[in-house]
Amino acid sequence: MKRKKLKESGVSYAKWGYIFILPFFIAYTLFTLIPQLMTLYNSFFENYRDGLMQIGPNFVGLKNFVTLFSPDNTGSIGMLKYMGNTIILWVLGAVPQVLVALLLAVLFTSYRLRLKAQPFFKTVIYMPNLIMASAFSMLFFTLFSPVGPVNQVLVSSGIAEKTIDFLSIKVSVRALIALMNFLMWFGNTTILLMAGIQGIDQCLFEAAEIDGANSLQVFFRVTLPLLAPILVYTVITAMIGGLQMFDVPQVLTNAKGTPDRTSMTMVMYLNNYLQTSKNYGMAGAVSVVLFIVSAGLSLFVYNTLSKPYKEETKKRNRI
Amino acid sequence: MKNRENTKGRVTLIISRTLAYAFLIIISFMCLFSFYMLIINATRSNAQLQAGFTLLPKDNFFKNLRNAWTDSSINIPRGMLNSFFIAICSAVLTTYFSALTAYGIHVYRFRLRRFAFYFIMAVMMIPPQVSAVGFIQIMYKLNLTNNYLPLILPSIAAPVVFFYMKQYLESVLPMDIVEAARVDGSSEFATFNKIVLPIMKPAIAVQMIFSFVSSWNNYFIPALLLDKAEMKTVPIMIAQLRSADYSKFDMGKVYMFILLAILPVLIVYIILSKAIIRGVTAGSVKG
Amino acid sequence: MKKIIALVLALVMVFALCACGGSSAKSGKVLNIYAWNEEFKGFFEKYYKVPDGVTVNWVITPSDNGAYQQKLDEALMNQSKAKADEKVDMFLAEADYILKYVNSDATQDITKIGVTDFSNTYAYTVQAASDPNGVVKGVSFQCCPSALIYRRSIAQDVLGVSEPDEVQAKLDSWDKFEAVAADAKAKGYYMTASFAETFRVFSNNCSSPWVDSGNNLQFDPQINAWIEQTDKFISNGYTLTAGIWDQEKNDQMFKSGKTMCFFGPAWYFNFCMGNAQDPDNGCSGDWAICEGPAAHFWGGTWLLAPTGTDNAELVADIMNTFINNEEVCTALVANEAQFSNNQAVNAKFASDPNYGSAFLGGQNDVAVFSEMTDNIVWKNHTIYDQLLNEGLQNALQDYFKGNVDKEKALQNFYNYVNETYPTIVIP
Repeated sequence: MKRKKLKESGVSYAKWGYIFILPFFIAYTLFTLIPQLMTLYNSFFENYRDGLMQIGPNFVGLKNFVTLFSPDNTGSIGMLKYMGNTIILWVLGAVPQVLVALLLAVLFTSYRLRLKAQPFFKTVIYMPNLIMASAFSMLFFTLFSPVGPVNQVLVSSGIAEKTIDFLSIKVSVRALIALMNFLMWFGNTTILLMAGIQGIDQCLFEAAEIDGANSLQVFFRVTLPLLAPILVYTVITAMIGGLQMFDVPQVLTNAKGTPDRTSMTMVMYLNNYLQTSKNYGMAGAVSVVLFIVSAGLSLFVYNTLSKPYKEETKKRNRI
Repeated sequence: MKNRENTKGRVTLIISRTLAYAFLIIISFMCLFSFYMLIINATRSNAQLQAGFTLLPKDNFFKNLRNAWTDSSINIPRGMLNSFFIAICSAVLTTYFSALTAYGIHVYRFRLRRFAFYFIMAVMMIPPQVSAVGFIQIMYKLNLTNNYLPLILPSIAAPVVFFYMKQYLESVLPMDIVEAARVDGSSEFATFNKIVLPIMKPAIAVQMIFSFVSSWNNYFIPALLLDKAEMKTVPIMIAQLRSADYSKFDMGKVYMFILLAILPVLIVYIILSKAIIRGVTAGSVKG
Repeated sequence: MKKIIALVLALVMVFALCACGGSSAKSGKVLNIYAWNEEFKGFFEKYYKVPDGVTVNWVITPSDNGAYQQKLDEALMNQSKAKADEKVDMFLAEADYILKYVNSDATQDITKIGVTDFSNTYAYTVQAASDPNGVVKGVSFQCCPSALIYRRSIAQDVLGVSEPDEVQAKLDSWDKFEAVAADAKAKGYYMTASFAETFRVFSNNCSSPWVDSGNNLQFDPQINAWIEQTDKFISNGYTLTAGIWDQEKNDQMFKSGKTMCFFGPAWYFNFCMGNAQDPDNGCSGDWAICEGPAAHFWGGTWLLAPTGTDNAELVADIMNTFINNEEVCTALVANEAQFSNNQAVNAKFASDPNYGSAFLGGQNDVAVFSEMTDNIVWKNHTIYDQLLNEGLQNALQDYFKGNVDKEKALQNFYNYVNETYPTIVIP
């Protein structure tokens, strides 16, 4: 019954679907897919440069993947270590990012609070995203360097006995990276969520108000379910962005991932292969792994988070 | 009885307002501090910057401004114009075509629909670094260096923006509107351009800001494709100042330029964020 | 919205057309010079007269993120296919990676295009631009011998002397250097301010290259000596653990600083010791230079001639001008604070009793550098040097700061080598 209905309403319009998505697919194929396929293909080859000399491509099967997961002399497997680093850095930054953004979005759109000076606050929270990541990292670097103002304050006020080398302590480097990512992206997420909340029919809030619902009830019963699609988007893109984290730790630690490569992310690792030797083989292998990890996680998040609202949308969309 | 409840409500309201403001002020302080540092650094000479950070400004603001503005190796207004052109084109193309694609997949039932959706979702996971080098090589082969097309056209296909538009449509677009338009004899393109786009205004404004900013701050690909002085963009010029030789190296100038480079994006943001708020009215058209 | 798109597309077209129109409207020869900053461009425009009908096209790509080498490599690899006016005619390279280009077919023998007179240039600058068979591929327009730069007042306190000759006598070997470091420590001073301060002094004097004939990574005794010395210096508190460019080190250049020695060439003390030159907190005049424990150099920019240039004669003329034209080389020393790559010109300044640097308390730095340059040797270098040196320092900094043990630090270095140079075999 349902299928028949869909067919009836969609069949004559199906070609429009193809027409509408065509530009996207043409542009994607030309500018991104072909280079990507080249990379994937390359992951099965030995293909790099030694100085100005090109080595390969020579087919090596799965050798690059085997190398990627082989332990070094001290028994640690680089790929797994950097995957772990990336996930830790992401969780540290993204969880507060989404929560704070959700809170802010609700505050800004709150029917009851009617906060003043909103344009000011909305502008300010987005401002860190306007600075180039490299400039932002430069500022943090000077701020937290052994002779930087933070250390000056800590030492002169007696909180710390001697200067703390924030950039060579695992915990503080990770915390700084998370903080910077948080600052750079929470405004962005807030705006997304705000736009989502504003897309919700105002009548629903008014109706809830009339029914005597309190703020928490409104949030959990009205805002959250209707915001679900956008929230899923935020979580998934924050996750993908997190797994692809690169510029902030790269600039802050000067590409070193100090200390002991504990702040080296997967994409920094990938970049190490590309930077000098143009090692498409190994870089391709790293990106295939990265792709599998993110696709798996995203699919999981998408399916778990969208289930509840999918039913609802289906109902609405059935004509 | 009713009165008492009202008073209680007012007290809770005042408390929650105070808490909200306190929270906003703390967050704003954190955000503004980096700008404060940037402004302070832009007022200090290279030698003063070498001497470490201070909380108080120095008096070299105008000297840095003059030095940056008159630096013979870079042309700041030209760079800003170039960046602005690229960023605006990318922002418009990316939002329009992402919305179009999202609409196509959201509204029409065609055989490859699910495949198209999952394909775009999948490619979203691939880090941009993966295709960057291959992209550069192809552009070299096609002789598209010193050309803005390779910096603008790829923005037609932005999986992340598409995903947002799709999710947004899912939460705001009821099919009845589309059906109603069809009954009124509107063509499919007209329905999209005249009815759906206005509904999506907040989403478009949001993504326009984001793509404008990311294009404005993009360094790596433009640095490899553009080498004509008159075509260079702002981030390339900043990098050029930073890799200036020791005798001309001047961090004061660099900070000043970074500061200048933020102003246009800030203005674009403020203009577009108004559109997000205006969009509320448009969004409530639906029934 | 449609209108906006139409407008945008129209604009794109116009821009694209402009871009094409611009490049085809050139007349006469085009000389394409690739560089990462404007230093040489400045000298070139001031001191070189370009023949009529030739347009110089500077392709300047900042070195950030390796963009310069990437751009240059791409251009050199497409050189044979490029149109005459688009070929690379000359490019600049630094000492750290010059061999990558010199040892490849992308550069050509400059003696064949007319640069043959190296009688006035310093030997090491020619060796650096020569491939394994001794074919010379380029010249340097500057020479960068690096000296031990010390604080006169601290030397007086620690050594009892402050004049360069006397200080040199007390610091002319690593054993003496270490002994003095202990004395300095006893008086409350640091010998150096960075863990990597002495790295170049060791690495410039290696007796074996980073990789052997089988491409196996090997540690030269000089490198091991540096590790050992730094280890000792840090555990004894003779040095700070800062990096070479760190603020922490720069702060030591103030009058209030407690560090006696820095290492660097003329460009370093003229342009990178701003804190020492600060009128209020600095100590200009309290400095002097001497050779130190071993001769070494730091930096320098070479001009290289790529294979396939269509302007070989002009390129040769430029190279000759910047090494053999007395007037130009004199101007470089007198006006630009350079140490030129012309021994005769430098000798004039070295023997001029009126020439001296106020920053160095009137000392004639050209004289000191002239003497040092004969002791500098360029040998045992590989195309991998720049990043192996950097990578080793970075990995070991973790160890010196006490974050990891030495074995782990070396493993991190090996991993870095694996990622950077797949052909190198790790122990």
